[in-house]
Amino acid sequence: MAQETKTRDKAGDSEYTAVGKPTIRIEGVGKVTGQTKFADDLTFPHMLHAKVLGSPHAHARVKSVDTADARQHPGVEAVIAAADLPAYKMNPSNRRGVIFAVDEVLFQGQPIAAVLASDPHVAEEALALIKVEYEPLTAVTDPISAMEDGSPLVRSAISDVDRSEEKGHVTIDVEQEEAEGAPSNIASKINFSRGDVEAGFAEADCVVEQTWRSAMVHQSYIEPHATIADFDNSGELSVWTSTQAPFYVRDELCQTLGIHESKIRVTATEVGGGFGGKIFLTELITAALAIVVKRPVKYIMSRKEDMLAATPAPFAQVELKTGMKADGTLVALKARLIYDSGAFPGAPVMPGCLFVGGYYKCPNLHIEGFEVLTNKVSVGALRAPGAHNATHAIESHMDIMARELGLDPLEARMKNAVEEGDPLPSGQPYPRIGLKDCLRAISESDVWKRRREVEGQANRGVGVAIGGWIGGLQPASAIVGLNGDGTIDVTVGSADISGTNTSFQQIAAEVLNVPLSSVNVTTGDTKTAPYAGMSAGSKTTYTVGKAVKLAAEDAKRQMLDIAAQRFEASPDELSVADGKVHLDGDDDKVLTFARLGKMTTNFGARFAPVVGRGTMSTRKSAPGFSAQAAEVEIDPDTGAITVLGYAIVQDAGFAINPLSVEGQMQGGASQGLGIALSEEMKFDEEGRLLNANLLDYRLPTTRDLPPIETIIVEVPSEEGPYGARIIGEPSIVPGGATIANAVADAIGVRVTDIPITPERVLRALGKL
Amino acid sequence: MRTFNFYAPTALDEALELLRKTDGGRPIAGGTDLVVQMKEAATKFPHPSSIISLLLIPELNGIEFDESTGLRIGATSTMSDIADSADIREHYPSIAEGAGIVGSIQTMNMATVGGNLCNGAPSADTAPPFLVHDAEFVITGPNGRRSLPADEFFVGPGETALAPNELLVEVRVPAPADRSGSAYVRHTPRKQMDIAVVGVAAAVTLTNDDRIENIRIALGAVAPTPVRATKTETFLSGQPASDESFAEAAETAAAECNPISDVRGSAEFRRHLVGTLTKRMLERAANRARGG
Repeated sequence: MAQETKTRDKAGDSEYTAVGKPTIRIEGVGKVTGQTKFADDLTFPHMLHAKVLGSPHAHARVKSVDTADARQHPGVEAVIAAADLPAYKMNPSNRRGVIFAVDEVLFQGQPIAAVLASDPHVAEEALALIKVEYEPLTAVTDPISAMEDGSPLVRSAISDVDRSEEKGHVTIDVEQEEAEGAPSNIASKINFSRGDVEAGFAEADCVVEQTWRSAMVHQSYIEPHATIADFDNSGELSVWTSTQAPFYVRDELCQTLGIHESKIRVTATEVGGGFGGKIFLTELITAALAIVVKRPVKYIMSRKEDMLAATPAPFAQVELKTGMKADGTLVALKARLIYDSGAFPGAPVMPGCLFVGGYYKCPNLHIEGFEVLTNKVSVGALRAPGAHNATHAIESHMDIMARELGLDPLEARMKNAVEEGDPLPSGQPYPRIGLKDCLRAISESDVWKRRREVEGQANRGVGVAIGGWIGGLQPASAIVGLNGDGTIDVTVGSADISGTNTSFQQIAAEVLNVPLSSVNVTTGDTKTAPYAGMSAGSKTTYTVGKAVKLAAEDAKRQMLDIAAQRFEASPDELSVADGKVHLDGDDDKVLTFARLGKMTTNFGARFAPVVGRGTMSTRKSAPGFSAQAAEVEIDPDTGAITVLGYAIVQDAGFAINPLSVEGQMQGGASQGLGIALSEEMKFDEEGRLLNANLLDYRLPTTRDLPPIETIIVEVPSEEGPYGARIIGEPSIVPGGATIANAVADAIGVRVTDIPITPERVLRALGKL
Repeated sequence: MRTFNFYAPTALDEALELLRKTDGGRPIAGGTDLVVQMKEAATKFPHPSSIISLLLIPELNGIEFDESTGLRIGATSTMSDIADSADIREHYPSIAEGAGIVGSIQTMNMATVGGNLCNGAPSADTAPPFLVHDAEFVITGPNGRRSLPADEFFVGPGETALAPNELLVEVRVPAPADRSGSAYVRHTPRKQMDIAVVGVAAAVTLTNDDRIENIRIALGAVAPTPVRATKTETFLSGQPASDESFAEAAETAAAECNPISDVRGSAEFRRHLVGTLTKRMLERAANRARGG
């Protein structure tokens, strides 16, 4: 198949009428005008508010929990501790398998008990009346020393680790070696080898060895976790929750609470930001509480609770050694990656290992990954989980080596960049990818072109880096129906976290050749919607979009069949345009969709309703790459960094909605800049979070962010709708390395840890 | 947040009476510090059972300037009121600079100068500017009115010289002398919506031959309270307003401050910033004094 690449021009010209056109998001107006109903906006008769008591200690034995005084507090309806919970399938090795800590708390903020009251303020008051006796234990906070023999243990041994959630983000056949043998804080190990790495270093003209660290960061969605659950007398559990993964929530609740999937209705409310963090967290506890009290229960995490006890992204240390020949050929790569998983397994060290050695052809590599437990909140996914940590290291090395060898940093990358057929460190070959196209496009960006101008100016610099993501794969389905008035209804089961429903509207409108306004898209609940995987792993447009296209094609086929009978013609002679079915070559033979609608829904109608069905499953991923460039200015006396300009290139395969794609690129780049410059969860030696708020956990504000130039390139995927490939995640990956390289260009020294704070800049400059 | 009673008196006497009667009641103005602390259960005092709003009390409002008597800022004047005041911008630029960077635009529209000062944060952005302008704080309470110089008002982190049930009524600032200028800057990791890692204010009055006739330097977030850099002030008095003396003053200020390490920065980093920012503020204040 010939590979066609193009850089999209802003006009979005193409042979299509709906897809590929910049389209305003369906749900956008409601969000910006405040009309959207989020989970916390919903209320039900007799509803109770839950407040949850979290442990003040990072590691302690729970000796007793006395709820008597809290129960007596006026207005309190129930106080529920571990002993009061309904039976559930507890799995102490999994975060998802523990509602309340029983004998041992493993991280600060771990839930101990809950208070239920009609008034949330009353529930909060009563929390202070619960008496818990703790015996503090040694908190293990540093994953590096936690790996050593003889380190105090974070917790009792783990077994039967469930990694199903991780697979939703990145689907690849790699086995993690789970911990066994003597008790240790190492939860799992990964090992990839190829060639002879020592022979490779012997061949190299430049060898660079460095240790890189990246901080624990939080998804910091605007809306903290929010769930309402209701368990009725018929035994049906209803859950309204801010989740990216309604079917996954249903499946987990089924397995944990022993309720049939058919008796669970999960409605994904509009998600006020997820970024991988809104998969499954508050649903189990809220459902369990609702089962106890048989009344609707609402649990909204406070910002502080969410920062203490959700699922942030890990701290990682990457020890990297790389070797390059004078002509720029990468010949050897040796890496040891240590990811801090917190108190439960689940750190994305596997993607880190894949990407540290997966961007460039390298004949000799040896990569070891360690997932290490500590007494901190356990980590989860954040947009391309685990990738930015590893990318920071390898992309810094590419710059250092190119600089030492006098090569252009883009040329050095281009020379080694992977292409279709090249293996990942795990051995799997890449399908068709657009990494080289991204590199070519970034060289044309305004920011990169300013490099010559900036060169030689004190304290200013330009840097570049790349990053990628493989994406997840899950089966998907969709329904496209024709209404009696000729409008089209699309029903899917995927939560819309990034404008996917708008893309589905475009896809259905394209297939049926109708205006966008004729197509309505609904995300149904798990009892009414056709199955879809979680909206994670960047896969929603790639998989559900494909199902929508198939469903629309099926609906079209049914409509043509009806018209063919009506016109006594063959369906081949018919086409759809302007909301009508036309008989080719006969202008009098038209059947409007409205007429077709009536013919399939009226009393005594001759034809059955038009219901198109689309189902899909694929094992072929469509990895996405991004290249980014930054121009920075450093104040050498305060260490302050100003990002003057930023450019992002991303291969979208085919941008079904270029507005959404650009939005994803800008959003991901902004998060990458936060990771690069200011975001860092800081813990004291007892494992307590020092900045559980959005003042001292610093997200970039509008004034911290530069104008971001977006350049979409399109190297079509083989299976995605219209060639679309994964979009959401690659944009966050290169930011740390891009800024690190720009800062090094500006000041001539390396800051090895991200975020690159003013204090770290001054230390690197030797001023502190 | 827990439950509480809310009062909105319209007279100062009524507010004082409510404070006395409610026992543990707290005054509130813009609420940008208090409400956040209450939500996070992080007040330095017991969770208040009553909240008494000061916003409807006319006597606490308003900004007035007179060339001879100086400036009066009512305690419930907002940061936006102060930052936007033409008089303050012209005669007391450091005060406008301090007020103009507190939180976000929304914060500045709600937060009041009384709240910023009475919260007692070592990092309060209006404190160093008031210190360098020799402000007086007018206080009222059960035992009547009194007035305190700014440098006696701050006692410790979250602690001021306010006795129980006392309220700050207004801030009075003398009119600046001729050939005077002031400036304030802070270092923050972000460009807005942040809190000072270090704040530095300077006010200078220059002689006609460009010597320093009067000097005030105040530092935020490097001690338990906002503080004057008195050794540096002593050193600079009578010195020429030159690069050399400002550079030496910067070193003196860095040496005399006593910062701690915390989540916002190490002591070493803060000390370095005190030096850098002191020099910059002296230059800026001197330029303003020269009419620049």
